[in-house]
Amino acid sequence: MERSWYWRVALIVAVALLSLYQLVPSWFYFRLPPAERNGDAYDKSVPRWAPNAAKHLNLGLDLQGGIHLAMGVDVDRAVKAKVARRADEIADFLKNKNVPFASVAPADGGMRVAVKTDQPAQVKDAVLEGYGQELYASDAPGGIAFAFREKVLGDFKTKAVEQAEKTIRNRVDKWGVSEPDIKRKANNQIQIQLPGFKDPEKAKELLGRTAQLEFKIADDENPVLDKLQGQFPPCPRNPDGTMKLPLPGSDAGGEPGCWTVEGIELPAGGTRQATVIVANNRAELEKAIQAKVAPLVDPAKNAIGIGEVTATGETGFKQTWYRTYLLRAKTELTGDYIADARAAVDQSGAGQGKPIVIFTMSPEGARLMEKLTTDNMHRRMATVLDDKVETAPYIQGRISSNGQITLGSGRNIQDMFSEANDIALVLKAGALPAPVTIFEERTVGATLGPELVRKGTVAALIGLAAVLLFMVLYYRASGFVADVALVLNGFLVLAIMSMIGSTLTLPGIAGFVLTLGMAVDANVLINERIREELRGGRTVKQAVQQGYDKVFWTIVDSHVTTLVAGVVLMQYGSGPVRGFAVTLIIGLIASLFTSIVVTRAIMEYFTRHETARLSV
Amino acid sequence: MQFKSFDLVPHGTKIDFVGKRHIAVVLSLIANLAVIAWCFPAVHGLNLGVDFAGGTEMQVRFGKAVDPATIRNAVEALDFKDAAVQTYGPESDHSYLIRVGRIALMTEDQVKRVVDAVNGKFPVESWNWNKDIGDKIDFQFKGAPPATAAVQAAVEAASVRVREVREEAGLTAGTKSYAVITQGIQDKVERELSSRFADAKPVVERVEYVGPAVGRELQIQGFKAIVYAMLLIVVYVGLRFDFRFSPGVIIALIHDAIITLGFFAFSGREFNLTSIAVILTVIGYSVNDTVVVYDRIRENQGKYKGKSLADLVNLSINEVLGRTFLTSFATALSLVGLLAIGVGTIFDFAFAMLIGIISGTYSTWFIAAPMTIWLEERAVRRKAGAASAPVQPARVAK
Repeated sequence: MERSWYWRVALIVAVALLSLYQLVPSWFYFRLPPAERNGDAYDKSVPRWAPNAAKHLNLGLDLQGGIHLAMGVDVDRAVKAKVARRADEIADFLKNKNVPFASVAPADGGMRVAVKTDQPAQVKDAVLEGYGQELYASDAPGGIAFAFREKVLGDFKTKAVEQAEKTIRNRVDKWGVSEPDIKRKANNQIQIQLPGFKDPEKAKELLGRTAQLEFKIADDENPVLDKLQGQFPPCPRNPDGTMKLPLPGSDAGGEPGCWTVEGIELPAGGTRQATVIVANNRAELEKAIQAKVAPLVDPAKNAIGIGEVTATGETGFKQTWYRTYLLRAKTELTGDYIADARAAVDQSGAGQGKPIVIFTMSPEGARLMEKLTTDNMHRRMATVLDDKVETAPYIQGRISSNGQITLGSGRNIQDMFSEANDIALVLKAGALPAPVTIFEERTVGATLGPELVRKGTVAALIGLAAVLLFMVLYYRASGFVADVALVLNGFLVLAIMSMIGSTLTLPGIAGFVLTLGMAVDANVLINERIREELRGGRTVKQAVQQGYDKVFWTIVDSHVTTLVAGVVLMQYGSGPVRGFAVTLIIGLIASLFTSIVVTRAIMEYFTRHETARLSV
Repeated sequence: MQFKSFDLVPHGTKIDFVGKRHIAVVLSLIANLAVIAWCFPAVHGLNLGVDFAGGTEMQVRFGKAVDPATIRNAVEALDFKDAAVQTYGPESDHSYLIRVGRIALMTEDQVKRVVDAVNGKFPVESWNWNKDIGDKIDFQFKGAPPATAAVQAAVEAASVRVREVREEAGLTAGTKSYAVITQGIQDKVERELSSRFADAKPVVERVEYVGPAVGRELQIQGFKAIVYAMLLIVVYVGLRFDFRFSPGVIIALIHDAIITLGFFAFSGREFNLTSIAVILTVIGYSVNDTVVVYDRIRENQGKYKGKSLADLVNLSINEVLGRTFLTSFATALSLVGLLAIGVGTIFDFAFAMLIGIISGTYSTWFIAAPMTIWLEERAVRRKAGAASAPVQPARVAK
């Protein structure tokens, strides 16, 4: 045999073994009953030597049941709200500057702010001085009007969608849906896939609601939670003092929750080590609170808030856990009173150059905020969005219409900026409603899925059997070689799909079957060519060489044209149809390898002598 | 020793494909025009699924056999004039597909009635209803915000069933706005079926709801995707072979796409996203045979210099007749399982694909390759015409 033949065989064997290896996680995934696949049972069942357990073949929503939603963010309404609030602010602003005006109100269907005045020039100068970066002026009957600049408007719309996405993420996270898929799409849409989620009405109801933002004061002087130190184990620590994950709970076994302390600066001066309960995820922490924390707390006076903590662990990777906050029960202020919020860079002395969050209150909100901050100076104020404590900064000074939140130091600027953006987004969620509505909904019941999987598998096997049988009957030994390659092709497709963690949908199964049919096309072309060469009087060895050489480009061309269609389809489709396109593309690439490289190596082995015979 | 083989398609055939191209073109033209005409709503129209038409589709399984006509009557009694009910899968499954064109229950008149009723109780500052979204009206009130229960009562007084009233942050800071969400189609249909067919225990297995705006967008995108795929393939074939071959390829592609569409048009099966996937795949796959023939034409051009193009094309098609047939046959075989036990969309997928594969092979033999001749002949005629025209003798300057 030629030297290159040995290399090719080595490559084929390596690819075959690697694809079997890649299929290990999927094997363990599908061995479990459907209800247990997306949980701890799977993580535990995958052996240690297996490749990345997170990457396995998934079943699409159409096969495992679940909900697919496309929600549109009503950016127009968000813009109208922004304009209306800006109108309020401008009125306040002009009043403070003693600029004469009759009224300030939204106009043109809520897209512009119209100021009625007999001094349009003076109003224009004053407003543009204050808001010139955002607004531009235009004439209006009886005064002057202002509209947002295109760029500001565009930026604002993007933010509205981001904000809606964040709210949706928070809520889905709260339900503990495993492997949810949330994506922002074009046209202000957000696509949500909730596999295995059974109650579409509940999903729609919870996701459709605009976010609720509340401010609560932290009750840090209250020592009531310190009693918990006896009821929970202390949290495990790494030698460097960082939290050692996983915490007690389902991952590590045992009851969920452990205690740790947090240094608090008390409003009267001095510090205190307050007890905090920590758990791996929200569900575990809620369970711990329910069982041991809630009984200690008087619901009329206190509430337990839940927050997420992200920190860099010993391995250098980001890790997250959940913690409690002891809050006063009363909601001091709601998000409706916030006019605007944004991330900015601190220009003042001490924290110069550091990211901060700046927010503006509505006129009425300013009065409430002023009282709240005066009464609770040096206490922490928790910002609670949809029952999650997003941030709890200390009140450093009296806030009325404009406030700012400085962030804890000691991290890199990049992280601080993204945190500032995040908090601004949270404050805005309270300030500006970005209502979402459902544009598209597809729900598949859990009973339908398994039946489709079973039928699809049987259909695929029948198709495969038909093709295998045809090849071996029609081309004899050469057909059998093609069959071997075809089976390998099937494994290869599944292995690649597992490796990239792609999703198998019902049309995807059809696509898989179809690519098996297309894969043998190449071998039909090769075998027909070999027959033709033999008819022309060549020896078997020559005919095989010629057969492969002459149809090589034909096979490549025919694969490329179908690939083109597959790629276009992948751009177009979503959900099941996309699953079909992905399967088709992977199938074609695998088929190029198996039909040209694999079958050739086998055929060359059997026709290595000049006198070789071949049934084709 | 003479090599012998059993051939499904005998080799050494001498079929005159080029000579029959006129008949083939006329036949294909009739078939294509028939499909296109049939797709016009005025003639018959495609049975567009919710993906494209917008609307609500529910797959309901009953515990025992139920006459689809009675289901239809039940749904129509709920004021859905355009309800369509069809059996889904084998009879023994008792599964039915119920489709209504509307996504919202409320009509414009009803919305007006609701707004008037609410305005009577609480002065309305502004309200908003979008018919693309449906069962939701936003209210903002003048003066003190009322309780949600009071708003709900006001709406229900206008005899519209309310699912929920939500309090939301209003347009201006510190104000409240209310989203009144009225009962949806799914809810209403499910209730009605459960009460009317209580003994058959209907279970809603799948619901698809697509807003009309999304449906329109998907239609346009789908059409664009098909056009882009065709163009890219034609350019690829043109680059790999010769741009003289491109017109033949594109005509064959359009032909195959329309014939595949014909399956959906004439059978009345639902045309949806999967149907677009089939047409795209047919486009990608049907070129394969064409590529095989073109390859052979190119190979033969080198071998038989001086042969007329018509003879060359005929010879090439005949030489690869077996393999163009067998590749399609093998791919069609893989669909056997899907055709045997596939239901609904998947059966349609397999059947349409089968039609597309057959059409692809036919168009390779009778359209794509012979079309090249026609173009060649035209070019020759034009050249000949140019040559016979009186030519002014060139002056040569000294």
